[in-house]
Amino acid sequence: MALILRTFVRQGVLLSRPQCGVLYRHAAPMGTTAKEEMNKFWDKNAKLNRPVSPHLTIYKWSVPMAMSITHRGTGLGLSGAISAFAVAALVLPESYPYYLDLIRSLSVGPYLIGLAKFGIVFPVSYHTYNGIRHLLWDIGKGFKIPEVYRSGYTVIGLSIITTVALLSL
Amino acid sequence: MAAVVRLNFACRRGLKPLFLRSTLLARPLLVSHKCQEHPYQLTTRINALHVDSVSKAASRHWTAERALSVLLLAMGPVAYFNHGPIVDFSLAAALTLHGHWGVGQALTDYVHGDAKVKIAKTGLFLLSTITFSGLCYFNYNDIGICKAIALLWGK
Repeated sequence: MALILRTFVRQGVLLSRPQCGVLYRHAAPMGTTAKEEMNKFWDKNAKLNRPVSPHLTIYKWSVPMAMSITHRGTGLGLSGAISAFAVAALVLPESYPYYLDLIRSLSVGPYLIGLAKFGIVFPVSYHTYNGIRHLLWDIGKGFKIPEVYRSGYTVIGLSIITTVALLSL
Repeated sequence: MAAVVRLNFACRRGLKPLFLRSTLLARPLLVSHKCQEHPYQLTTRINALHVDSVSKAASRHWTAERALSVLLLAMGPVAYFNHGPIVDFSLAAALTLHGHWGVGQALTDYVHGDAKVKIAKTGLFLLSTITFSGLCYFNYNDIGICKAIALLWGK
């Protein structure tokens, strides 16, 4: 009994999945963090110039997989756009209404403005709805595979509906 | 349970090698019984004894990210109905921080090696600082975020 407690109470040997019947009788104390372990992995394998096995190029794409990277893509894209807007605000001499009127006066004006509206509305809608989906996962809801697909299609559907609705205003 | 049945079977047969086997079978039964008693107690003791400060900070960061996301969600409808400097500056702060933390997660996933991570995180910090400054400048010297978006749809 004491032996079990002593071995399990070592630093780092945390029971994330209590496995019955497996006794770590002589577990060495672990002094490294997950971050250190990951760095060691990358350092060693990069130094040895080991090739990485094909993964993205060969694995069959699924809807949840595609939606996940799209969530990241829209997030990065929106962040970039906000930063670009902020830099423009600092650098450009005139005011926003001035430039908006300038674009409206161009022949391609309406198309550019329509493009800007779409470029804002679709990524924001998708990222927001999928963000809610993520937050639901964070409180533990909706992990069953059929639920994942159902919530996924709901997000896609809502994004399209919101985009069409706001762009037709 | 299965071990007990096997023991009975062995006893009925009465063979010598099985006597040795029965002691081996007895042990797993003992171990699993102990595990059934103790895993919860063990994990609570471990949590109480040693939670690394790094993992505590990481855990708090995770929670803060979700709290900010919820806050940003709530700001949407507020911004739609109330244009004004308070909403504009709150939106600037929340959007910049949410973006900063989000890009930070992507960096953690894709950038490896101490030096590269440091360079990337420094670059991100600079970018976020410039972004927040630019948005605040826009809110102060120009029409503000809410009005700017509204103007795209023509006031």
